[in-house]
Amino acid sequence: MSSQVGKKVIKNENISRNTEVTETINFSCLCDPLRVLRESPGSLFLLEYCQLTRQACLKAQDLWFAYEDSPVAALRGVSLTIGEGDFVALIGQNGSGKTTLAKHFNGLLRPTRGQVLLYGEDIRNRPVSTLARRVGYVFQNPDHQIFSPTTRDELAVGPRNLGLAETEVQRRVTETLASFGLKLYADRQPAALGFGLRRKISLATVFTMQTPILILDEPTTGLDYRSITELMELTRKLHHRGYTIILITHDMRVVAEYAPRCLVLRDGQILADGDTRTIFKQTDLLRETHLELPQISQLSRRMIPNGMPDDTLTVPEFCEAYSRLSH
Amino acid sequence: MPIVVDLYIPRQSWAHAIDPRVKLLFVASAILVLLVFNNLFILLGALLLLHLIHWSARIPFQKIKFVWKTLLPVMLLISALWILFYPTGTPILQIWIIKITPLAIAQGLVLAMRILSMALAVFAWLYTTDQPSLVRSIVKMGLPYEWGLVLALALRYIPTFQGTYSLISEAQQARGLDISSGTGFRRVRMMMPIFVAMVISSLRASDQLAKALESRALGARGVRRTTLRDIHFRPVDYLYVVLILAITIGLLYLKFQYGLGVHSVNLM
Amino acid sequence: MLKDITLQVEAGEFVSIMGPTGVGKSTLCLALNGIVPQSTGGVIRGDVLVNGLNTKRHPVADLAQHVGVVFQEPETQLFNMTVEAELAFGLESIGTPREEILERIEWALALVGMRDFQQRSPFHLSGGQKQRVAIAAILAMTPKILVLDEPTASLDPRGKTEVFSVVRQLRQQHGMTIIMVEHESERIAEFSDRVIALKDGQIELEGSPAQVFAQVERMQDIGLAVPQVSELAYCLNRQLNTNFAFTQLEEAHNVLTSWQEGHQK
Repeated sequence: MSSQVGKKVIKNENISRNTEVTETINFSCLCDPLRVLRESPGSLFLLEYCQLTRQACLKAQDLWFAYEDSPVAALRGVSLTIGEGDFVALIGQNGSGKTTLAKHFNGLLRPTRGQVLLYGEDIRNRPVSTLARRVGYVFQNPDHQIFSPTTRDELAVGPRNLGLAETEVQRRVTETLASFGLKLYADRQPAALGFGLRRKISLATVFTMQTPILILDEPTTGLDYRSITELMELTRKLHHRGYTIILITHDMRVVAEYAPRCLVLRDGQILADGDTRTIFKQTDLLRETHLELPQISQLSRRMIPNGMPDDTLTVPEFCEAYSRLSH
Repeated sequence: MPIVVDLYIPRQSWAHAIDPRVKLLFVASAILVLLVFNNLFILLGALLLLHLIHWSARIPFQKIKFVWKTLLPVMLLISALWILFYPTGTPILQIWIIKITPLAIAQGLVLAMRILSMALAVFAWLYTTDQPSLVRSIVKMGLPYEWGLVLALALRYIPTFQGTYSLISEAQQARGLDISSGTGFRRVRMMMPIFVAMVISSLRASDQLAKALESRALGARGVRRTTLRDIHFRPVDYLYVVLILAITIGLLYLKFQYGLGVHSVNLM
Repeated sequence: MLKDITLQVEAGEFVSIMGPTGVGKSTLCLALNGIVPQSTGGVIRGDVLVNGLNTKRHPVADLAQHVGVVFQEPETQLFNMTVEAELAFGLESIGTPREEILERIEWALALVGMRDFQQRSPFHLSGGQKQRVAIAAILAMTPKILVLDEPTASLDPRGKTEVFSVVRQLRQQHGMTIIMVEHESERIAEFSDRVIALKDGQIELEGSPAQVFAQVERMQDIGLAVPQVSELAYCLNRQLNTNFAFTQLEEAHNVLTSWQEGHQK
């Protein structure tokens, strides 16, 4: 039965013949008959399977990390669970460990102590290029990723690195150009385009790899309001399609409007982990970490004595609540 | 994370207090002497002397180790090549057509020690001279200010580019680029994305830097540039100059007039 | 790139410039100290006069003493090994005598709240501290006009607060003429005398923060943010048929509380 499953997966993904992956993933969450699986790039099967069994796709267990030349640990005993299809924001000041933590999820950093589990498997010894099939990382500075002569080529880099057939690569590139609104710039040089576009392109290049998990590292810095909205709406759409989103940011307005769950980090530790609304009520905690609530939340809290709720996250919410109060 | 931020190591030592121009003279003389002499024992002596200088200047062991580590591959390569392809004298070992002779080994060692010594001399200068003094010394020797500035900026931005390199490398790995496998030409091809992104990044950075420099009135005409922290020759610095020149000229004289270091191990 | 920008800034004014990415805000900043067009090439039709000096005719190094520009990235505008050297650089370039350099360094560092940082290395400072050093390095040259091109874009919230405090102080206590390009509409509402919104290389909106941020629909059309309270005012006006026009938190709080009290009687 397992061999039948293996064949089915390969056919779905339409990969070229010489890239049959021979890794064997050992899942503790699997029931007996499916003990051995053949993995395929994109891992759609994994996605469906884990969604079916509601498994955590990412887990950190008592994770400690210190850089080579640093006496102080950048991560101190971090434990968290991210479920399939979650949308989590990692928030905190620079130096709190957000990026350091996220880089453990795709193997760019290895734990000094503790474990990182991807779909139940310890990824300590997996090379980054393998983990790139399942965890996509969009870097803070798009210029660190961009190097191709055309946008089309740039989008093709990821899938090609994964060893996909050229027809599949081109199919994905065309699909991504359309869904990201980049068709106009398909044959232009990305490095010469404006910053907002380069940001979008760097997200698109990771998207073409169709990794079930997407990590976005400070995607909104330096962008104007419209670009932020575009990017975040795109992210929300991806989330609704089933992708797991990990958003690293310190833009509290974006967190309030888009992220249902957030983790607050400070000095390498998780201070709070929960749904955004609850976290935003803990003003002392946020003040400790120098994070300020969005203006509208602040106003709402100031007007609690007037009957306003203590957990307003967006302008429409406030508007609604205030109107109700006055009628 | 960039580790090497500044080559300069702040310490209170006799070497740190010397005027940077004297140190530059030292480097030039050292390189000259090291090139002229081919004698195993003299070069060994030079190497030991340089280590002594580093140690007495309170340079941490890690930093000396750094020079060794960086140069070891080159040293090994050059020695090996020499030993394999320039056998002179009677061989003590023969593998197929490769002859290993003691003279070749000695010369290989000389070459290795020469490179290391030259590097140690240069680093003795860089480790004990801070950036403004470096720039100042170049200007005071009559060269245009911009030359000194270029040197200082190059040194200052090395760690920045190291950092950019790691970030770019990480970003490409995260897209599935496998930089650990592959050899030779294939390896070079795989580094292309990183290389191109580095070049683009450097161009952008230099553009921004140029604007920042201009905004601080670099190149103001009709004004002489002043200096906050200037360098001055102390009496003892003149002494050092005399000493360095005397030793250098002395050694050269001894070699060419009396064949110092030539007869004991005749290699060239 | 920029078309028909006619702008006049009075001494002591605080003007904020907003615009979508790529519209030419940086080009405008660089046009103010002559780097555009002198170093970047291109053509300027019309003139830019700074303190009466034409930016096409005076060398950038001279203009730098009248108008200082602070850029977005600390990494490429701090190029010395110590804070002291960084602040001294500009002064050395214009031939300031040694003693005066030392005085000005102390004064400038005090202005940005970083006294005693002279011997520190910029590498080991936080983002907010780095930008403050950059500002101090410009202030040391005592320009009458300070231009800041997205100074907090790459900073975390703490860094942003640090920089904005410095800017506020410069405005209130020293009456500097400040031109700031920013996206943070809420801060802009706090500090600015005037707000200018650019679109397609032209000035689309101009006026006091209250005037500009009241036009929520037009701002959104350009693609720019307004303070959340301004958005709220717009929203409430449509719902409750009111005439709210607040742009700051305090203001909003006062107005909404008193309106509510008034309407509950």
